[in-house]
Order: sequence, then structure tokens, then C-alpha cells
Amino acid sequence: MNIDRRKFVSRSFAGAAGILAGSHLKGLSAPGRLTAKQEEALSSKPEKYDLMREVMKYRKIDAHAHIYFADNSPREQLDFGERLGIEKQVISRYLSIMPGTPEQFREYNDLTIKAIKKYPDHLLGGFVLNPAYKKESLEEIKRCTDAGMIGPGELYYQVKINDPLYYPIIEKLIELKMIIFSHAECQLGVGGYRMKYNGYKEPNTSIPEDFVDIARRYPEGIFQYAHIGGGGDWEYMCKTLQHSPNVYVDTSGSNNAENMIDFAVELLGEDRLFFASDNSYHQSIGKILASNLTEAQKKKVFFDNYNNLLKKGGRNVD
Amino acid sequence: MLIDINAYVGHWPFMQLKYNTCEALGQRMDRFGVDVSLISNLNGIFYKNTQSANKELYEEIKASKRYRDRFVPFAVINPIYAGWQYDLEECVRKFGMKGIRVYPKYHDYEINDPSLIELVKKARDMNLPVAFNYKMVDSRQRSWMDIDYVAYTPRPEWTLKNIFPIIKEVPDARYMILNVTNSMQLNEADAALFNKANVLMDTSGRTLTDMGSLLKTQGKERFAFGTHSPILDYLTGMLRIEALRENEADAATKELLRSGNAKKFLGL
Amino acid sequence: MKDVMKYRKIDAYGNAYADDKLAAGQIAYADRLGIERLILSVPVAKQMGKTPVEFKAYNDLVILAVKRYPHRLAGQLTLHPAYLKESLEEIKRCTGEGMTGMKLYNQFKINDPVVYPVIEQFIHYKMIIHVHGESQLGVGGYRMKYDVDNTPAISVPEDFMDIAKRYPEAMFQYAHIGGGGDWEYACKSFRGYPNIYVDTGGSNNDENMVDFAVENLGEDRVFFGCDSSFYQGVGKVLASGLTEIQKRKIFFDNYNNILKRSGCGLG
Repeated sequence: MNIDRRKFVSRSFAGAAGILAGSHLKGLSAPGRLTAKQEEALSSKPEKYDLMREVMKYRKIDAHAHIYFADNSPREQLDFGERLGIEKQVISRYLSIMPGTPEQFREYNDLTIKAIKKYPDHLLGGFVLNPAYKKESLEEIKRCTDAGMIGPGELYYQVKINDPLYYPIIEKLIELKMIIFSHAECQLGVGGYRMKYNGYKEPNTSIPEDFVDIARRYPEGIFQYAHIGGGGDWEYMCKTLQHSPNVYVDTSGSNNAENMIDFAVELLGEDRLFFASDNSYHQSIGKILASNLTEAQKKKVFFDNYNNLLKKGGRNVD
Repeated sequence: MLIDINAYVGHWPFMQLKYNTCEALGQRMDRFGVDVSLISNLNGIFYKNTQSANKELYEEIKASKRYRDRFVPFAVINPIYAGWQYDLEECVRKFGMKGIRVYPKYHDYEINDPSLIELVKKARDMNLPVAFNYKMVDSRQRSWMDIDYVAYTPRPEWTLKNIFPIIKEVPDARYMILNVTNSMQLNEADAALFNKANVLMDTSGRTLTDMGSLLKTQGKERFAFGTHSPILDYLTGMLRIEALRENEADAATKELLRSGNAKKFLGL
Repeated sequence: MKDVMKYRKIDAYGNAYADDKLAAGQIAYADRLGIERLILSVPVAKQMGKTPVEFKAYNDLVILAVKRYPHRLAGQLTLHPAYLKESLEEIKRCTGEGMTGMKLYNQFKINDPVVYPVIEQFIHYKMIIHVHGESQLGVGGYRMKYDVDNTPAISVPEDFMDIAKRYPEAMFQYAHIGGGGDWEYACKSFRGYPNIYVDTGGSNNDENMVDFAVENLGEDRVFFGCDSSFYQGVGKVLASGLTEIQKRKIFFDNYNNILKRSGCGLG
């Protein structure tokens, strides 16, 4: 192979970084200067990067997605799945309605059941419930499990995850070896966090401290903290959850802050992150591919971590 | 060819950023195949005297030919702060800056402030684009010291409606609208004006989901690749283009999005 | 201290006090820091002469102080522009007593037409007009949504720009860029106004302030000043990146050149 030396060197600023090692650490003032010759060699075009090949390289389970009461749902979700190589999506219709009666959650779950029956190869179902209705919720777990759902979908803001009302539900989910998955936020003025700021949210929205609390009470439970990219303060989330080994986070949400994934892996370890979109599909993949995770780590996050936990209940996808 | 029309160096005072120098951004560009980036200095959002930030950027780019070849600097101008007219001249004539970025919320003036109108008219006359953005970071993760436009509260984040008045005021200027993260809805008359205006939007915004439809409704010449780096990850803005299917964007359209529209808009 | 004592200094913003003890205290600081001459005025900004009787009394205090320390102090008169006749008489009386300029407070903004005839007098005398200026959110018409409920007629940089353009032959001194206000704003405002000078006085001694002032205004339009904050006054100039020649200009020559125009320069 005829490698043009100049072109080879020219590929990268990274090459230059070797020469300028650490220069950017000196702040914004002028980094060290290169010789004219080095400059010349380094200033041409970068190599082409084939993004879609990278995207398609990894098997993926989307651990947090939703369907809607809309004509284009779940068609639109499936379309993104196909476009971006997402093998399975764990869908639910989250209970974004108050008070969240049994009638309401059954209706929401019926939508999910219909979808997973129609697209069994691509969709996995998660049920929703409201622990304020204990009997009905436990019955709903049975009904949905019988219908083929793999566990709870994104449980919502009717009751905090560490509220005693949740105990019997959580105990049931532990018994069924299911992942206990709940919505969460981390924003000034929400769910009890620095309430002098008013975030205008439901008061029982779960926050990271609530997960720490319930995870300590049920060390055998497997908890999924929803969407570190959901708009909240992901540094706060990861720091709070760092020492709760049975709390996993999903990477979903419309926010794709640079360094979020690296930060989460640094604090939580490479086994406690699940790839997920929360229907922000581009961001969900972009943020992981743009991270500094190794290929093995990316594989874990995109697929293995979640699948390994599904295995515990025999619900794994392969 | 790939041109990123929305990138930064500098600091965000409430959170450590990675890849926020010319050197580190350049490595990002090389790793992911980006040829040129339009950059401005984040510090200019926070310095009262934004010219100090523009000078920092000028000095940083000046240090290497690679930077000069690969970065197109934009000036941060605050039109309600003393001396901005002189600063703008200096940025263009001495620092070689190719456009202006303004931050009405951070710099604390209204979108129809006479000073902003004066600045945009001046930019128009100097043939410089003026870049607005919806927001810098998601308000739900904001620091307690950050501005308090917060989603889902009575003082919400901006939408296109909040930016549009300046376009209406100076319809013949060139605009960049970056990090499109909320509604693009306008009333019918305004939408018609907006469609006629010379506007380039970038692909970094979190609400740009169905790019295929947007290309149909907005036109394929009104979007260009942008990252909002280093605040947002480097690839999502690119993925919104590369993941388009042939029936949504053919090869020629994708090239427009990757660099053609940016080149044309900026006269590069 | 060797560095401190190396430079001759005129403090372009001194404060005289009615109490002789306080005046003596000022002289003691000046001795300690090698300040040759203090340019005095009375009162301090919060009080202002409301009537001719009052401003004459203030000027008498300055005259007295200068008489006590003739080699250390020089005086600036004050007045109230609304009392034009009395003010003009007072200008005559005080310059006759050897005063070298005027210190104006906030009875009116410096660009108020009421002040025009007074300014015209000082053009005639070739003396500098030292004006209390501020650059703070919510003061003097600047971004009043942050109103801090201060005297409404405080002059802001824009007022100086306005009057300096109207009277290009007059000399204006924007008081104390270290007075707590936004010195970047003030210095940037005055870039294109060669007849506006600033003094570095005030209790704030931000790093880079003096360099920034020189960068924006040039090395001839910046005066050393203390406004009774002596350590900061000297420290900020010495800590700057200015050359020795520039420091000499700031500490002494620039102000002395102004004094020379009216024949009051120091040898």
C-alpha cells in the first residue's frame, strides 16, 4: 500500500497533539508554535469518518422508549429503529396523567399490549401502574406479564419510588426478577430538591435521593433510573447514584451533553449504563458513539448490560 | 466535505467542558472527519466586555496555521455594552471574524432592543451573518447561577417566536438560528416572512427529530451541519444528516447539508 | 517601597476634610507613599452644595487646607450650576485663591444645559473639570430596571461623551474608575474622546484595570488618583504591566501637563 507520508501525518490534530503535548492545558493563550514544515504537513484534510457504518456495527436494545395514542405510533418508532439499527425497543405508554386510576393505566397498557403483539420481533413491552391502587396494580402486573410484557415500563410521578406504597409492588417485581424502572428528574425545584426554586412539576416526582433510599431498602432489587439525558443535572445524578450498585441508569433523553456518557461510566462503571432513547433516537446513539468508551464498553452499553439483566428472569432477547 | 457551523471554545462557568480549545476541538474534527468549524468563544457570553473573549479567540487561532486553516471565527457582540461598534470593526478588520453571535438573554436585552436592531443593520451592511440560538444548555439542568428561563414554567425557554421579531425588523439581514430546541411554530404571516428570510439553521437542536419532513417544509437549503460542541456531543448533529434515507435526502442534498449550504451562506 | 518611592506623584483625586486632624492624616499617607501633591476638593459625593452659602463654605475649607499645606495640596472648587451668578463669582474668587480646577457633583448631569456656562468658564481658564461619574446598573439612567435608588443626576459615561463632543476644547476628568463601577464600560466608552481623562482613584484595585485603561485611552489620558484609598491607589499602578515611562506619566506627568496649561504646573 502506498501511503503518502504527508497525507498520513495530515490526518490529524492528534498527530500534532503529540508534538504539542499538553499545550492546551495551558489555557487559552497561544499554544506552542510548530515549524512551518510541521504546520504545512498537518493542515490538510481529515480522513472521512463513516458514521452510519459505526451506527450499524453495534447490536442495540433501547431500554426506554414509548408509544403513543397517535396514528403514526408505533410506526414512527419502528422506522427509527430500522434506520438506526436498534434491534429491540422496550416500550411503554407512561402514565402522564393524574390521578392515574386503574382504568387509566389499564387503557395505557392495552395500547402497549396491542403493539407488542403486532410487532413481536421489535418491541418489548413494559407496563405502568399506580401503587396508590395496590390491589389493582398487582393484578395489572399479572395481566401484563401474562400478555408477554417483560417488566414495568417507565413508572411515573403519581407516587415517589421510595414511598411505602411502592413496597408491595417492588417486592412483587423482585420476585418476578424484573427491572424496576422509574421516571426521575434532577432539577432545581422539583421533587423536593431545593424547593425555593419552583420547577412547576408534580410533587411526587422521584429524584436521585429517592432511588438511593429505595435501593438501600431493597438491595436485591434492580432499579433503572430513567434518562440521564432527560434534561436534568446528570452530574448530580451520577454522583448521587455512585454508591448504589443496584441502581442502573439509562442514557436516554433529548439531551446529548458531550462527556455525559464518559462521566457516567467513570462514576458508575461500565456495567450500570443502558443504551436508551426515550424516543430521541439521534441523540441516543450520537452520545455513545461520540464518547471515549472502548468498543467493548460500547457493546455492553448498547446491548449486553440490559440483556444480562433480562436473562435473570429468562427474558433475554437472544 | 463537512463544515460545522456551530461550535465553541472557552469555558462554561457552571460545568467543566471537554474539547474546549482549538487543539482539542481540532482533534475531534479529525477523528470524525470535519474539515472546518465556525467557532466563537463561550467566555464572551459571560464577560461583560465581550471583546476580551474575541481577543482570546483571535490569539488562540493565530497561534497555528492549522487553526487558521480549519477555524472560522465569529465575534461575540453585546450591543448594549460600551464600545461595541469599535469592537465589531476590530473583530472584522483585524481579527478576520466572519460573523457575529449575539446572546440577548445572557446579555440581558430584549429581542427588539434598538441597539440590537442597530447591530443587525450594521451587520447586514457589512455583509456579516448574525447568529442567534434558542438556548445554550437545557434549562432543567441549569445552575442556580444561570439565567432563569426554565422549560414548563411561566418563564419558559425561547422558541422561534422569541427570535422572530428581529427578523421581522430587519428582514434583509442574514441570520443563523442555532441549537433549534423548541417549537418552530409561527403564525401564518410570520411563517411566510420567515420562509423568505435568508436563514441558515444547524442540525444540533434536540427537537430536530424528523429531519426528512423538515427538509420538505423548510427547504433543503436552510439547514447545515452543526454540533453545538463542546456542550453537545460531537456526532448527533451529523447523525441527523447521515441517517436520512435516499427518499428524504439524495446524495446532492446531503452534500448541501454537510457543507454546500454553509459554503454558500458564508461565501467560503 | 523602593519602587513606590521611585516615582513622583500627584494624586488627582484627593479629599479634604473640615477636620484638620483628618487632613493631617492624609498628608501622613502621602508622606508614607511618596505622594508630592494632592488635588483636593470638598465635599465627598454623597453631600453636595445645595446653596451658594454651602458651596462657598466648602471652598473655604479647601482654601484653608491648602493654606496649611501649600506645598502638598492644591485645590479644586465646587459650585452649584443652578446659581449661575454666584457660581461664576465663586470661580473667580477661588481661582484668585490659587485653585486649579473644579469638582462637580451630581446636582446636575454634566451634559445638562445648566452646566454649559460653567464649562465655558473653565475652557477660558484652561482648567480641568473633575466630575463624579459612575457606571453601575440602575444608576443615572443606565439600565434602570436595576434601579438602586441613587441620586438621579449622577453622570454616567454617556453623559461625558455627550458633553465632550459639545465642548471639544474643554477637559473633563471622569472620577475614579476604581470607585466600584464598571471600569471596562467606562474606559470603552471614552475611547474616541480625547478630551476625557480618567483617574484611577477609588477603593477598588482590580488587577488589569490600569492596563485596560491605558490600552483603551492611551497612556496620556490616565491620572493616578487615590480618593483616599492610598494603598490601592499606588498598588494598582505599580502592579500594572506599564513601562516605567508610562508609570511616570500616570503618576505625575499627565496631570502636571494639565496643570501647566493654566500655569499651575509643578517644577
